[in-house]
Amino acid sequence: MDPGQVDEFVMGYLKKKGFNSAAKHLQESLHNNNGSTFSSNDYHNDPELNKLIRSFSQSENDPSRYREGYSKLRSWGYNSLDLYKHELVRVMYPVFIHCYMDLVGKGHTQEARSFFNSFRKDHEMVHLRDLQKLGGVLAPSHLQEMEFARSLRQSKVNIKICQYSYDLLIQYLHRTESTLMLGIINEHINFQVYSGQPNSASDDTEAVTIVGSFHETADHVNQKEIHWGLLEDSLEDRLEKTGGLLSDSEKGQGESKAGDMDDSKKRSAEIGKQGSSIKKLKKDKAGTATAKVARQETSTVLSSMPRVKPELAMPVMSADVEESILEDLRNRVQLSSIAMPSVSFYTFVNTHNGLNSSSISHDGSLVAGGFSDSSIKVWDMAKIGQAGSCGLQDENNQTVGLNGRRNYTLLVGHSGPVYSATFSPPGDYVLSSSADTTIRLWSTKLNANLVCYKGHNHTVWDAQFSPFGHYFASCSHDRTARIWSMDRMQPLRMMAGHLSDVDCVQWHPNCNYIATGSSDKTVRLWDVQTGECVRIFIGHRSMVLSLAMSPDGRYMASGDEDGTIMMWDLSTARCITPLMGHNSCVWTLSYSGEGSLLASGSADCTVKLWDVSSSTKLTKAEEKNGNSNRLRSLRTFPTKSTPVHALRFSRRNLLFAAGAISKPSS
Amino acid sequence: MSIVPKETIEVIAQSIGITNLSPEAALMLAPDVEYRVREIMQEAIKCMRHSKRTTLTASDVDGALNLRNLEPIYGFGSGGPIRFRKAIGHRDLFYTDDREVDFKDVIEAPLPKAPLDTEIVCHWLAIEGVQPAIPENAPLEVIRAPAENQIYQQKDGPLIDIRLPVKHVLSKELQLYFQKIAELTLSKSNPSLFKEALVSLASDSGLHPLVPYFTNFIADEVSRGLNDFLLLFNLMHVVRSLLQNPHIHIEPYLHQLMPSVVTCLVSRKLGNRFADNHWDLRDFTANLVALICKRFGNTYITLQSRLTKTLVNALLDPKKALTQHYGAIQGLAALGHNVVRLLVLSNLEPYLSLLEPELDAEKQKNQMKSYEAWRVYGALLRAAGLCIHDRLKIFPTLPSPSPSFPSKGKGKVISTEPNKRKLGVDSSENRSPHKRLIATDGPDGGPSPMQVDRPTGDANPPQNSVRPSSSEQASDGNAPESRNAKEKDGSKGRAITRKAILDQIWKDDLDSGRLLVKLHQLYGDRILPFIPSTEMSLFL
Repeated sequence: MDPGQVDEFVMGYLKKKGFNSAAKHLQESLHNNNGSTFSSNDYHNDPELNKLIRSFSQSENDPSRYREGYSKLRSWGYNSLDLYKHELVRVMYPVFIHCYMDLVGKGHTQEARSFFNSFRKDHEMVHLRDLQKLGGVLAPSHLQEMEFARSLRQSKVNIKICQYSYDLLIQYLHRTESTLMLGIINEHINFQVYSGQPNSASDDTEAVTIVGSFHETADHVNQKEIHWGLLEDSLEDRLEKTGGLLSDSEKGQGESKAGDMDDSKKRSAEIGKQGSSIKKLKKDKAGTATAKVARQETSTVLSSMPRVKPELAMPVMSADVEESILEDLRNRVQLSSIAMPSVSFYTFVNTHNGLNSSSISHDGSLVAGGFSDSSIKVWDMAKIGQAGSCGLQDENNQTVGLNGRRNYTLLVGHSGPVYSATFSPPGDYVLSSSADTTIRLWSTKLNANLVCYKGHNHTVWDAQFSPFGHYFASCSHDRTARIWSMDRMQPLRMMAGHLSDVDCVQWHPNCNYIATGSSDKTVRLWDVQTGECVRIFIGHRSMVLSLAMSPDGRYMASGDEDGTIMMWDLSTARCITPLMGHNSCVWTLSYSGEGSLLASGSADCTVKLWDVSSSTKLTKAEEKNGNSNRLRSLRTFPTKSTPVHALRFSRRNLLFAAGAISKPSS
Repeated sequence: MSIVPKETIEVIAQSIGITNLSPEAALMLAPDVEYRVREIMQEAIKCMRHSKRTTLTASDVDGALNLRNLEPIYGFGSGGPIRFRKAIGHRDLFYTDDREVDFKDVIEAPLPKAPLDTEIVCHWLAIEGVQPAIPENAPLEVIRAPAENQIYQQKDGPLIDIRLPVKHVLSKELQLYFQKIAELTLSKSNPSLFKEALVSLASDSGLHPLVPYFTNFIADEVSRGLNDFLLLFNLMHVVRSLLQNPHIHIEPYLHQLMPSVVTCLVSRKLGNRFADNHWDLRDFTANLVALICKRFGNTYITLQSRLTKTLVNALLDPKKALTQHYGAIQGLAALGHNVVRLLVLSNLEPYLSLLEPELDAEKQKNQMKSYEAWRVYGALLRAAGLCIHDRLKIFPTLPSPSPSFPSKGKGKVISTEPNKRKLGVDSSENRSPHKRLIATDGPDGGPSPMQVDRPTGDANPPQNSVRPSSSEQASDGNAPESRNAKEKDGSKGRAITRKAILDQIWKDDLDSGRLLVKLHQLYGDRILPFIPSTEMSLFL
């Protein structure tokens, strides 16, 4: 580059950047020293500076620099040493998407598109969905508009890389003077260099999802302490403690009641809003009030599992309900990898593609379906079973049907497709959520709508009762999850933080936490009391569709769109192991009563049973051995072309499943 | 750049009444349109997922528009997929096929049936982990749950992977390979390439998944192509190659393979043309059978006995064609001398008497028949000759290396010279007892180096073992060397009581002598080339 050109470029650059006075000054000095390049030779003669200026001049105005730079970097990366290759290749993806977004941002749409298309193949395997999203970005304005792109632009990606790989990369970038790539890497990648050998290629799960600034926050969030233990004085505890002597424990509770009441009152005063509702309830059933608070000392002694206090004021349970639950628990079949459950399957027929969701009550006697025509239908299987058992009455049934009497209860009230309909634990209420942004509470005894909860701004995808009833959680397209109590029109808590739709919600067995799965491919755990996010689980590669919490409260399973199920340890926020086996959406997950089996239902028309007891044992061993284990699929029950929409282990460990038969499309 | 071309934007603009859209504006709009469409599809997919479906429907798109607060699409859906028609004269121009509907038809049409109401049917998907075989459940053949015992295995080793039985999947490459081999076998047009294929079959590793396909293929083709001589020959070559391949575990398929092979040995008719040298095929197959017996005889004890039974039945059935007899003789001969001695020589006399009329040129007018008879005769002669040669060879006294033994080829030469035949009583017959005595003198005087080998060899014949004899038969040319080796072995075992062995040898040699005499009776001079010259000098 001859001096004249350099001068010209420097001038242009200064003007472009708005340093007008400096440009003027330079021009003047150039004029003055015309012929004798006195003042300017300080940068003409410095080769380093010259080089820099040259690279500046090229990168400023040439979109093909990106392609060139990236393809060079790529071929270098792919030809590097095998041992370090995967680490270097991992760098490619952020560079790739930022190159692309740079090009788009500068308005080189055509270049950007051809760049994107020529290199997207490299990343499709891992980042297909992100690429599909980004592929639509074609104008600078889209970058601003699209949440995903914006978060990518604003954040840095953390990449763990070993010292040697890092040195290799930096050396390469300097040697080839690819300042453009260096710039992108500096700007968007945050290297965490560690000494020693590179990690094996398999354990780079963290590198899989690049979702904005998640990793930093996730790491930060996941430091928080959580108490995953069950509630003190839960029914299971009492069962263990008393064996069959229920009356004794009742008496004991009666005695401790007086002391506890004060405590609980104090607590409810602290809690504020929720407390008042409980007080009301307590007044109603003051006689049987069993305050499930306190008695810390005894409970810790009694069980090896940690126990926690409830942060919410818990609703009271009527004595007969409690007794029936205890009766169920006593009669529970112990399941394990050798003792398999029986599976009862409820098949919806003639749904005309309108069944959006279905759910089964805890005792399996009620089945609800939410339909796209805004209706909810509730079947009482106990009655149907009776009718069916009488054989000849089938004909009668049909005539009844023709007369207009249906064998289900039709609940009409929503004004949009119903995306969820779930039962309260005793089965006396149905909670439904719909595209009309409302959540409705129905009574199965009155067959009528009781309350319409308005609060969400968008379609409510899911709503779930807490394990003890009264409270419920909902999640929506408006990217929030909310906690409600039945007696309030307004939500008690709002959980905001997901970067996309919140698709499913599930309560922790101790009611202190809720888990939400989202289209941003993460699962979050929220503290119900504070409304804070306490855990972020990163690892899914597509939208999370289903969640289940283990009965001991320690583990969580989540199923995604690709058919992967992940088992998470709540305390460490790490994936114990992915359960691979389904090849389509996992619609539903359910833990057996004692937590040894996990059932999963999928769009591939199978119910699978997984042995998760071994996994928990093995993880303990794993800590010692340091080798990863695989959970095992125990059984696969194929249905006759019926995708499985809902699964529920009853308290006695009978597995209920439901799905709408789909005729193979011809 | 954008998926949506700017022409589309222009057309849409025109259709909604904007006529003065500048090309730049269209160019700017195109990417935005694409972005919006992608956005709507993304939301539509969410709606689809939440409706628990895996196929996108129009209602999902409606839902997505609703989510985005966009005006919904009004109007009625057709209820079916939109049909696209090609515009005549244009390659890539399509239009929707919009049928005109007569109002009258619609009004007068009978009301459609009310759709059936939603119902729930209940059944047991599984009872304690086992799927009952009821019509509501998917048929078990599709995916079978792992068997009960596997479950119990899990208890011991928690890390055992349970794998459902999967379909046997062949890789594309193997499929191609199989096709190519099958093609070559059937085509017969490219012998050199076929040879290459055989080499590949005999040596390539990784062909094991194809073995069931090959056995099937061979069985099918043999049963179909009995008239096609070349095909049969090719197939037998394929079998041979498969047997030779050290990487293939062929035992489980032997039962499928054997019938085809035996067919090629003793079938009445192989090939339909006169020129087809089916004798060659039978010889080849006989060796193949011997090979199989040699290799798998130890694992499948019944294999050889069953085979010999089949062959002997074929041989002794006078109704069977001479070609079949020939095949049977060759097969038995290939199995070894002990087999021949036990099964062929014992039946030699009656058989030859049967064959006699056929051989006579005067009695048998049919040239073909006569030729066949001579072939059979030759085969018999060769079998018997080799057998007796083997017997005599073990006389150890005569240190001179055996003269070049009549090989397969020589046997044939003899058999194809019917004019030389002279079935008569020979003078040597009378002298044979003396010869026997002389012959038996041999071992007494000599160093008797064969002690070890012989007793074992003699213990074996009743069991039809082919071990010693067939190996010798296969390596006729190597006989001197193997003999030397045996001599070495023998010298080690000299300590064994000489008396018993000598008795054994005596008995053995007596048998041999008797046999020789009998053969000489039957065959006359024709047997002589099989007898080592030194022996001959003793006998004659």
